[in-house]
Amino acid sequence: MICARTIFAAAVLALTAAAATAQPVLIRNARVHTMSAAGVIENGDVLLNDGVVVQVGVEVAPPAGATVIEAAGKVVTPGIFAAYSTLGLEELSLDGEANDASTRDNFPLSASLDATDAFNNTSSLIAINRAGGVTRALTTPEPGSKIFGGRAAVVDLSGRIASVTLAGAAQNAVLGYQGATRTGDSRLGAFAVIREYFDEAKAYAANPRDYKSRARDNDMTFADLEALIPVVEGRQPILLAADSAVDLRGIIRLKTDYNINVIVLGGTEAWRVAGELAATNIPVIMDPAANLPGSFEDLGSTLANAARLQKAGVRIAFFNPDGGTTHNLRLLTQQAGNAVAHGLPYEAALAAITINPAAIYGLSGRLGSLEPGKAGDVVIWDGDPLEVTTRAVAVFIDGRAMSMQNRQTRMRERYKNLERGDLPFAYRGQD
Amino acid sequence: MLKNLLLAAAAIALIGGCARKEKKAEATPKDEKAAAAASSATPAEPAKPASKVVRPPKDPYPSTYKPYPSTPTLITGATILTGAGERINNGSILIEGGKIRAVGAANSVTAPQGATRINAAGKWVTPGIIDIHTHLGVYPSPSTDSTSDGNEATAPVTSQVWAEHSVWPQDPGFTRALAGGITSMQVLPGSANLVGGRSVILKNVPGRTVQEMKFPGAPYGLKMACGENPKRVYGEKGGPATRMANMAGYRQAWIDAAAYKKKWEDYWKDAEKFYGEDKPADDGKKAKAKAKPKDDPKKDEKAPEAPDRNLKLETLAGALSGEITVNMHCYRADEMAFVLDMAKEFGYKVAAFHHGVEAYKIADILAQNGVCGALWADWWGFKLEAYDAVRENIALVDAQPNGCAVVHSDSAIGIQRLNQEAAKAMADGNRMGLKIPEERAIKWLTLNPAKSMRIDKDTGTLEVGKMADVVVWSANPFSVYALADKVYIDGALLYDRADPKRSPRTDFEIGQQTNGFTGGSGQ
Repeated sequence: MICARTIFAAAVLALTAAAATAQPVLIRNARVHTMSAAGVIENGDVLLNDGVVVQVGVEVAPPAGATVIEAAGKVVTPGIFAAYSTLGLEELSLDGEANDASTRDNFPLSASLDATDAFNNTSSLIAINRAGGVTRALTTPEPGSKIFGGRAAVVDLSGRIASVTLAGAAQNAVLGYQGATRTGDSRLGAFAVIREYFDEAKAYAANPRDYKSRARDNDMTFADLEALIPVVEGRQPILLAADSAVDLRGIIRLKTDYNINVIVLGGTEAWRVAGELAATNIPVIMDPAANLPGSFEDLGSTLANAARLQKAGVRIAFFNPDGGTTHNLRLLTQQAGNAVAHGLPYEAALAAITINPAAIYGLSGRLGSLEPGKAGDVVIWDGDPLEVTTRAVAVFIDGRAMSMQNRQTRMRERYKNLERGDLPFAYRGQD
Repeated sequence: MLKNLLLAAAAIALIGGCARKEKKAEATPKDEKAAAAASSATPAEPAKPASKVVRPPKDPYPSTYKPYPSTPTLITGATILTGAGERINNGSILIEGGKIRAVGAANSVTAPQGATRINAAGKWVTPGIIDIHTHLGVYPSPSTDSTSDGNEATAPVTSQVWAEHSVWPQDPGFTRALAGGITSMQVLPGSANLVGGRSVILKNVPGRTVQEMKFPGAPYGLKMACGENPKRVYGEKGGPATRMANMAGYRQAWIDAAAYKKKWEDYWKDAEKFYGEDKPADDGKKAKAKAKPKDDPKKDEKAPEAPDRNLKLETLAGALSGEITVNMHCYRADEMAFVLDMAKEFGYKVAAFHHGVEAYKIADILAQNGVCGALWADWWGFKLEAYDAVRENIALVDAQPNGCAVVHSDSAIGIQRLNQEAAKAMADGNRMGLKIPEERAIKWLTLNPAKSMRIDKDTGTLEVGKMADVVVWSANPFSVYALADKVYIDGALLYDRADPKRSPRTDFEIGQQTNGFTGGSGQ
């Protein structure tokens, strides 16, 4: 019975998603951060129709039947794009059943795991983060006992069943000390192992049938090698977690040697190799608040990292390892604000949570800025979006207005008045 | 992420409470102050004769903190949030002799000749920020096996351990917190255990020793933990494996502590009588007069024997008597309610529930019991007991009559911008119509934690006579762009954003590969 109800609810949702794109929406008289060559438009208008941005400018005429939203005094940005998360794979971090983000023990498969196999579009985190202005996210399996986590996907935060924007958006792997702990407790092991995987994947790709018939002396599964083929062929980017300048130089060599598409995750010392990273076109997904020598690979950790990288021409995006990589994607705006407080230009900080992640995953033609033809992912804020006292007041994904309600707002409504009523609290604030 | 899980696991181990002082307890802080004073003074011993009654030392590792030199300083033209609920636009504050000498409208405060004058037009001034919940020093940076000293996860009740004996004063986290305006903090043991041990309250002034950092006269706290953490740690190591066993574990500990406490009290009563010290020993005349008849105690009467000391029970007994504040890590509303009943069962007071993700569900009960909620603005979801978060938690706890909300960090990153946590909580409260002005929200970071930690006579507000623990902010501290420009502790300028020479650098970091040291939190 419960099962049947779930299926019914899902069907209703799918219908809604399919039917809801028609009506045009005009947002008027806002300060619009286009994140495109058009820059910031004061008293700007954004017209959405058929799921996409149709026009951005001033004094845009509302088409017939358009919903007009007066947004004077408000700020409009593209939806926030979380460059790294385990959204939909992790409901509760410390609960085995509610966390699919990584495998345990010596589970044999790694690179072949795929986020889309377990992505839960009904996770409560989706509506909660969406209310904070987040509209897209990379969601990724994370490494278990091996250095590879698996294939990440870009998803939207609409909650609909068809939420996957791009499957196989990236492979995810760890080097640095995280890699070392999985490879004989030495960074030497980490680099040796990743090179061996890359070499084997290339050999496998060159002639799969022959490769399968050969004697092998490693424990790599065919499935994992196959999953790495798009990586070694440069068709799929690979996230490599590392922090120290030494490890980052190793990653630059890897990229050069294998001609692969690398994204650094972490990079607390990236500013030390900023020039080389820029020259080799390696983006860095970083925590702009990291400023502690949490380990010997973080000794150069500094709040100046984001500004220094940006100045050197490195493409940066933000993630939030403190306080919940995934539960608080809604705090990416706060992180960006802090980066500004420590020297990053404002538009660069906003780019790090909008257009840059889109570009990193090859989606800048569809996402990350407000330009005609791009997805209608738009957020209206009641103030400066990077300010801690500002909140999103409306969120659109693919041109559709999203609900701003979620488990947390329901809970607040239930308990905001603690006076005893005629019925217990369990009868209040239901859906 | 693995790192995050580790952080979350560490988080599990923490938290204490905010207790209000009971009348019974009042003797203790005085004793401690006296001891602290005696210890910091030169050998001059008090004139009273040595007591023959055995009394375990209450302050065997006394504070050796001494304020650093300060110059009289007048800060003018700032927006001042006093921490006592007031806001002064275009205000001035005078610091002299390490204390706050005057606060008021700019034209009402004058400085002595030679005072340093700081034009703070456009800037904001608040009391030094106080974090009631940190593990700086006990889980320092770098995080290694060598430095992991915050959880004595070898038995569920380890009230015998004292966090100060684990604090590494070279933790670089202290320096980053200073750049975030933190002037005092409570360092707690972790939350792996039902009873984790004693906390220590520090001034955020770098020291070679922990004693040089200890807040003079501050009481100790006791760290206890509800819920999932003790279950997770001990479930397969003999228990507790369930929440009911958690409760049984605390109750047994209190029963043992009450018996121990009585044993000592009985002994003191008998011994005082025996040695003729049954009047207050510091009352010289009476003591002398009374001492006479007992100068020659009856030979056939055996001197009362002091009970054996038990460190574990000594701390718990201190909590029962009110000398030690009780800091309870607890997430769920139902568990907090049981803890409050248990406190009544054994006659002690919970100072604060720490983390309290569900505090809003019982905000009325917390307020009625005079218990603070030391809370986050929006952390949630790392485990089921942290699932029911709302962004209005702090504001809802604050909104109750007699409500006491405290913003805490439990994070070496979060402690650097507690002002932003308060800003978020204030903004969400205001959106639901609670009308919280900045001058009220600042109390969550200053007066309220100070009260809960019982250091509010000395710090926590900008009131005349208090320690000059003061932060000058570049802008409204309830903004993401605001940075602490200057941080004074006891009047000494210990952090100046504009002057890297006024930024501390720990031994651990000095001499490492040059990393473009920028000072303060930027390091």
